[in-house]
Amino acid sequence: MARMKFLCDAERCIECNGCVTACKQEHDIPWGVNRRRVVTINDGVPGERSISVACMHCSDAPCMAVCPVDCFYRTEEGIVLHDKDLCIGCGYCFYACPFGAPQFPQAGAFGVRGKMDKCTFCAGGPEANNSDAEYKKYGRNRLAEGKLPACAEMCATKALLGGDSDVLSDIYRERVTNRAARGTPSMPPWGWDTAYGRPEAPKQPAAPPGGAKS
Amino acid sequence: MRSSPIGRTAGALFAALSFAAGLAAAQSPAVVAKEVDLAQQQQSQQAVQPLNNQPVWKEIRSGVPQITTVQGRETNILIQSQGETWRAVRVPIAFWGGLLFALTVGGLAAFYMIRGTMSTQVKPGDRVIERLTPADRYAHWLMAIVWVTLGVTGLILSLGKSVLLPLIGYTLFSWLAVLAKNLHNFIGPVLIVAVPWMIVRFIRYNGISIDDFRWFAHLRGYFKGEEYPSGKFNAGEKLVFWLVLVVLSTTLVVSGLVLVFPNFDQTRSTMQVANVVHMIAAYVAIALACVHIYLGTLGVSGTYAAMRDGYVDATWAEHHHLRWYEDVVAGRAREQFVQREAAPVAVAAARAKPA
Repeated sequence: MARMKFLCDAERCIECNGCVTACKQEHDIPWGVNRRRVVTINDGVPGERSISVACMHCSDAPCMAVCPVDCFYRTEEGIVLHDKDLCIGCGYCFYACPFGAPQFPQAGAFGVRGKMDKCTFCAGGPEANNSDAEYKKYGRNRLAEGKLPACAEMCATKALLGGDSDVLSDIYRERVTNRAARGTPSMPPWGWDTAYGRPEAPKQPAAPPGGAKS
Repeated sequence: MRSSPIGRTAGALFAALSFAAGLAAAQSPAVVAKEVDLAQQQQSQQAVQPLNNQPVWKEIRSGVPQITTVQGRETNILIQSQGETWRAVRVPIAFWGGLLFALTVGGLAAFYMIRGTMSTQVKPGDRVIERLTPADRYAHWLMAIVWVTLGVTGLILSLGKSVLLPLIGYTLFSWLAVLAKNLHNFIGPVLIVAVPWMIVRFIRYNGISIDDFRWFAHLRGYFKGEEYPSGKFNAGEKLVFWLVLVVLSTTLVVSGLVLVFPNFDQTRSTMQVANVVHMIAAYVAIALACVHIYLGTLGVSGTYAAMRDGYVDATWAEHHHLRWYEDVVAGRAREQFVQREAAPVAVAAARAKPA
């Protein structure tokens, strides 16, 4: 049985937010809820990297451990899904998740949050596959249609990969091997250095990045 | 949104209790300097060893806010590591807290079966004393109803997954949990009024003296029917006042407010700390409250009348609160003896043990 995973290649992500848009469009997600987001580290500084992140479908999921009504379950493919009919909107999964995956439609007074919503790896929920009820609560079930997650399929640079862990590992291993083997040490075959040139070592004393940040 | 008066008050509360440590740390210059340092490391790393993003991953794990176009709470933090700590800390708290609750309830049940209701050794008299005024009793009843509701719903939410869910199944337990969560969240803020009201009404009876320590030293006598003389309130009641009401209930109100108003954009680490404080305070307070409720109802004959009618049998007062009774006899106390028939309410006589 496959073990589904996401993998984001920091050398390839160009922060286009195509995955975020693809996800919102595919599942008709309401305003204020973002199942996926792109975070940029050292924005505007040479050496900046971007990572796209959503639910990582953990093997030992913290959300599952802390949920007071046990509404989470793991599919045979290792995808962590939840039952919105059981969810009470307490927010514990949001406290526990390292990746900020659980989303709530509201953050109102008296702890009124609504039902939790998160990335389903485009695998729907406990309702019948591709039923209206499933679409309304969890979005499209692409896996049941034989497709992979929309975000990864949409990724222009193939930075974001989604699929069987073994296949993903093979692809990534090949990438890493070729990155080192091809090209020259001063100019790898592709990636940030090829696109923008190799960053120079910071001159001492270096100017703070972003200027206005500090 | 942050400039509303409630927001400012809530913000001040957080600061006062150091709950905003995470927020403050994220905004202090030291962390920004760390970020600058890591950015420079990444730059140097790329010059000497392209494709090695170790400084970037280090920066991500440090929890420093980054840049994102997606709006929402803490969307600019890629990985928050303290969630794992919170998850791990909850387990022993729920285990020991649940055990404490089970032992308290079980211990009281066993005590009741062995000892039964503790009664006075003398016959009920003709005179009664007004122990608590209506205002005292209203304050206490508001507190009692709200507090017990919160205790029961809180226990359902924290221990229900282990205890109730296997018994009643997912669907029914989810309905129960929704009910419990909403009762807890909407009734909880009543304590903002109930706790200070209760403190104001009862603090006059709860001064501490050396006799209270002696009372605890003679605790065995209390259960044998030979109580160490106490004033209007005995040391056990004073412990409930100071620890359960003043310390723990206040802690529960403050930490509960942090959790129940997520609309003020408090960070996850703030809410994790508040949740841990809330859980520990709640389990200790619930265990003590169980003993308090037992002794006030089933445990000691005639005590419940003080809370129900306000009047207690004079022999009850003599037996359980001798110093107070002496004060009433000597006319030093605010209260006076009233003939049973003259009392505005029918006072149930304390059950007397056949001598």
